[in-house]
Parts: sequence; structure tokens; C-alpha cells
Amino acid sequence: MAANFWTSSHCKQLLDPEDVDVVPAADRERGITPEEFRLVKIHMSSHIWRLAQQVKVRQRVIATAVTYFRRVYTRKSMSEYDPRLVAPTCLYLASKVEESTVQARLLVFYIKKMCGSDDKYRFEIKDILEMEMKLLEALDYYLVVFHPYRPLLQLLQDAGITDLTQFAWGLVNDTYKMDLILIYPPYMIALACIYIASVLKDKDITSWFEELRVDMNIVKNISMEILDFYDTYKIDPQRGIPEDKISPVMNKLPAKA
Amino acid sequence: MGDGRAGGANRPAWLQQYELIGKIGEGTYGLVFLARLKPSHPAPGRRGPPIAIKKFKQSKEGDGVSPTAIREIMLLREINHENVVKLVNVHINHADMSLYLAFDYAEHDLYEIIRHHREKLNSSINHYTVKSLLWQLLNGLNYLHSNWIIHRDLKPSNILVMGEGEEHGIIKIADFGLARIYQAPLKPLSDNGVVVTIWYRAPELLLGGKHYTSAVDMWAVGCIFAELLTLKPLFQGVEAKNNPNPFQLDQLDKIFKVLGHPTVEKWPTLANLPWWQNDQQHIQGHKYENPGLHNIVHLPPKSPAFDLLSKMLEYIILLSSLYDPRKRITAAQALEHEYFRMDPLPGRNALLPSQPGEKVVQYPVRPVDTTTDFEGTTSLQPTQPPSGNAPPGGQAVARSMPRQMPQQPMVGMQRVAAGANIAAFNAQAGMAGLNPGNIPMQRGAGGQSHPHQLRRKADQGMGMQNPGYPQQKRRF
Repeated sequence: MAANFWTSSHCKQLLDPEDVDVVPAADRERGITPEEFRLVKIHMSSHIWRLAQQVKVRQRVIATAVTYFRRVYTRKSMSEYDPRLVAPTCLYLASKVEESTVQARLLVFYIKKMCGSDDKYRFEIKDILEMEMKLLEALDYYLVVFHPYRPLLQLLQDAGITDLTQFAWGLVNDTYKMDLILIYPPYMIALACIYIASVLKDKDITSWFEELRVDMNIVKNISMEILDFYDTYKIDPQRGIPEDKISPVMNKLPAKA
Repeated sequence: MGDGRAGGANRPAWLQQYELIGKIGEGTYGLVFLARLKPSHPAPGRRGPPIAIKKFKQSKEGDGVSPTAIREIMLLREINHENVVKLVNVHINHADMSLYLAFDYAEHDLYEIIRHHREKLNSSINHYTVKSLLWQLLNGLNYLHSNWIIHRDLKPSNILVMGEGEEHGIIKIADFGLARIYQAPLKPLSDNGVVVTIWYRAPELLLGGKHYTSAVDMWAVGCIFAELLTLKPLFQGVEAKNNPNPFQLDQLDKIFKVLGHPTVEKWPTLANLPWWQNDQQHIQGHKYENPGLHNIVHLPPKSPAFDLLSKMLEYIILLSSLYDPRKRITAAQALEHEYFRMDPLPGRNALLPSQPGEKVVQYPVRPVDTTTDFEGTTSLQPTQPPSGNAPPGGQAVARSMPRQMPQQPMVGMQRVAAGANIAAFNAQAGMAGLNPGNIPMQRGAGGQSHPHQLRRKADQGMGMQNPGYPQQKRRF
């Protein structure tokens, strides 16, 4: 069902954490380590993000695009599906699904503007359209994605801490640099962000959490993962992963034909 | 067909699982085929289930997969209900970038069922059937609405009815190309640049209302209910096409004439609707006093059927007060209506005779153009004699002809010579306004044009003789 998470394809497709970060065989053969695999996904998520800023789409569209991107690489290798092409195409497809279509030629234009110097990131309209079809296939035609944003606003309201909205919203944005959306129900991710926000901003909402009757262990685990992520990757949100760190990894992937 | 001529070398493997029967429809988005799924363990006499395969062409240069196809895929992949068409598979042919949606095949649809009664049987649809069709339609719609999906394009040709078999007489709501999830307010359809039939369009939209609610689907259900009763579209307005989003004065006039002129007293939010507000066409002029709906649908004003119908065709969609009963009924409420609790009770097979011993209506099967392959290319080989699925007269051949002509003149010529048929003649005669006997046009004939183009032709050509039954675009 389209508006009920529990019966949605999204819910049915949730994965165990250990099944998400597995480097596909073809990429392993090229010497990509699990750490590097993760790094490419972070790098390309922020690529999608920056591209989206240029074409001006809503947060939701970006989130859907990144989710598609991450889903693809639980099934396909980066050697076969060039992430530099998959990323903009995910944004293209997500913009259609979220009813705010961005034209392919506009994407091509902004990609050129953003990555002008680097030929490996440049693609033609035709490339995007071909990849769109391959993406549909790779996603098994499941396109509806749920996000933590809506539950976040409702929960903040319910907890009476709407003053934390901006902070918690930013945390949710950052969760898309991880694979959490493939593993946990969106409202649990929202709760984890609220939990972090409340702790860091000294709001005691313990009793509110108790009344929710959710598994606090899961909420705390997600929170720890998010905090660990911040510790490990101190990423400049404007520029993503530094060039000297990501280039060697990207160079292990085959350049486009 | 199957000669692999067009794109033969790149024929995708998935195609092997189907046995193509022929083309059953054509629209702006592409073509619809009838096929059978090959049985996994073939045996003599064993046939796989029939499947309707909708082929989407790449829309315009550089637009990729059409948004219509994307909407259908994303919604139908999520939903599952007996009264909603089932998407059984999606296929892609990377070689020519075409996309195929495979659905459970339904032999009938309300457009054809109504037409059969009007033009062939000259008799109304029995009460049991009307009630069962309506109940199932509401049941499917209630499911969609409770999942925050608005269909936005309900009309008889989009309501399929299953033919003989396990699911005989069961309704399937189809064509989700305009459907939307409406958690956020929806933009008007015109923003999507799409055109939909105006006959089933709700007055709040005709008056320029900006946001869609599920109530627009209920208005369409009301129109369809009336059409099931009378066999005629309830509000047959002539569509204005002077600019991209014209004011549909005639359509509103048709509605007001039947339901009475709305007033701001009765419908407070009316004053906020753009077309009412600027009133350039003087629609505020209080013209029609006496609602005459019951006369048109031949129902006693006090009957439960009439009560339900008039609640579907209520102007007001927002509650002015919590307990104001004058508000368009929802699908969930309609299912609880008294009408469905009295004899005859609605049933699962809507096409059963209402009384034991009563004759079963045999509705015609869909015409199939058996000469077309999946590429939409007409085969050069002599056509096989029509199979059980083929229509009498092979009119579908004529339909595919004009488009084929420029590319393959020989094919077209041979066809005319060999298969010259009444339907083709009718079609041409009808278009040219030379249909003195008002011979009903065959469904297949001329079916490749857009419904609106055809209606325009019909309006011009046939004038008073046939006041605008469009040859609707075949869905499947």
C-alpha cells in the first residue's frame, strides 16, 4: 500500500545490517575494501546532494534518490553500474516519482558545471536515459520510499520539542550518508535523531520515550551508529569527502566506455 | 508475427514467456497487446492465463520513461486488491528503450458493457448487475482512498470487468497513469499537462479548484452510476479547447441544468473558486432552479438508489459544520448505504443473471488485431483466420492501416484489397459524416486516434445524428 509503511514494499525490503555493506564480488576483485565501498557511497550521496541543490528539488526527492542509489549497490556492483552515472540517474528517477520532474538535459548541464574538469563524471542525456531503465530493473520496480521527515515532525510535535526541529532535521539529512534507510523503519530513524537532539540539547524527554512503547534498544543503537559516523567521517557538508581521499578509490572503478 | 523482423536480433528473453495473440488497443502512450503466458509445463490443450501487455514508447526525445508509466508502476507495485487491476510483471527492452507492463487480462469494461446494452440489446442493465458493479467499484476505490491514492481519471473505459473464469464478473479499476498519492496537496492536472475526459470531472475542478481530493473520484462514480442506469453519460458537455486550461462552461452548464444552480448560501466555499469568483461567463446568473436528476435517471426521489446517487453528486465537499449531512459521500460511507443492504444484494460476479433462469447476457469479447507484433509492426504474411478472440469483420486491421501506409504502402494496399470490410467502410463514412443510417461504429475502427480528436470529428461530422459518443481510446 502506498501510504501505509507496514504493508509497503519499502518495509518488506528492509535488510539486516550485515547484508547492506557487502562489497560485490566484481568490486572486491578490483581491490575495493568495505571501507572504500562505504566511502564511495558517502561521496556519491553528497554528489547527489550537491546536484540537487543546483536543480532545486525538495529534500524528499534527494532522500528518495539517495535511497535508490544505496539500494542499487546492495544488488549490483560499482564495476558494472558506474556510480558516477547511477547517482544523477537516481536523482532523475526520484524527481519523476516524487512528481517534480527534472529534465535530463538540465541534469547534464549542471553535472558539466559541477564536474567540468573531470571527464569521468560527464555524461550525455542518452546515458542517463539508458541507465534510468537499468535502474528501474535493478530496483525491481519498487519505487515508493518512506522517509523519516514526516514522522519526525509529528513526533517532535507530540513530544512538545518543536524548537529542536531544525537540529533534528539536519540529523535526519545526515543519516542518508549511511545505509540506515535500508535497515530501519523511517520512524525509528526519526526517533534516533530526536534522541540525539534531546541529549545534545539537554531536553529531558525520557518519560515521553517511555510512553511510546518502542524498543529503546533499537533507538539507542541507531543513535550510536549515527554518532559513530560523525566521529569517523568529519565531512565538510559543502564539499563532501576530500579529493585526495576519494580519487584513488574512484580510480579503481572502470571509467566509462 | 514472430518473424523477428523488427528488432529481431535484440529480442529480449522475457518475450519468450508470452505467446502473443494480437493488438487490442492503442493510445498516445503506446500500444496494448493481448498475450498468453506460456504454461510452465506445456501439454496439449493447456493454455496459460491471458495477459494484457501495455507497451510504453519513449515519450519525447530526451524525456526517458514517461511519467504515466512511472506512476502506474510505483502505485501498482504497492497495492493489492481484488477490485484493482493486477500488475503481474514489468519488462524492459533495452534495445529500443521500450517498457512493457503486463496485467491480468480483463475481457470487458464498463464502456463496452454500457454500449452493448444501448446499441445492441436496447435494454437496461439489470439491477443486480448495476448494484454489484457499483459496489465493487466503491470497494476498490475505498481501498485506494484509504491508502491515500486518488485515481483522478475514473470513467467507464477505465473500469474493467473480468470475463469468464475464476474471477468472472469482478470489477478491476485500471489505468493509474494519472493517479497520485495525496499526502501533500496536489497540483491541478493542467500542471501535468494532461488532458482527461471532462464528462466525469467534478464541479470544484471545473470551477478552477486547485487541489484534488478523493471527492473528485466520488463525483466520477456518481456519473458512472447514472450512466449504468440510463446507458447515457450523465453530463455530456462539449469540451472547450481554446487555450491550455480553458473554462469548461458547457460542462458546468450541463451539470447545473440537472442538479440545480449552486449558490454561495448552499455551497460556502464556492465563492473562493477562481472561475466562480471572476464570473466572466456569468455563471453566477441564477438560471436553473429545479433539479431534475430523478427524471433523468428514472428513479423515485425517495428511493435508496436515488439517495445514494444524489449524495455522490453533491456539490459540497468540505464540511461546513461537523454534522452537516450535505456533503459528497465518501467511498467508505457509500459502501454502508442502505441501497446495498436491500434486495437484490450485490454479488461477487456482477454478470450473473439476477433471477435464476434469466438469460445470461453475452457481452462481446475485445477485438484483437492478430496481425501486429510486439513492435507494432504489421505482419506481411497472410492473416490467420480470426481465432476465438478475434472480432467479426477484422476491423482492427483497418485501424492499424493508416499509420502503416506511409511506411509500408504495400502492406496497406494488400490489406484493403484482401480484407476490405464493412467496419473500415463505416469508420471512414462515419468520420466523413456520411453515416446516414447511423450505423454504430465498430469499436476497433478508428481507435488509434486520441478520444478527443475523435470526439471532435464526431461532433463535426455526425452532428445531431450521434451527439458525441466518442470512440474511446482502448485501454486494454
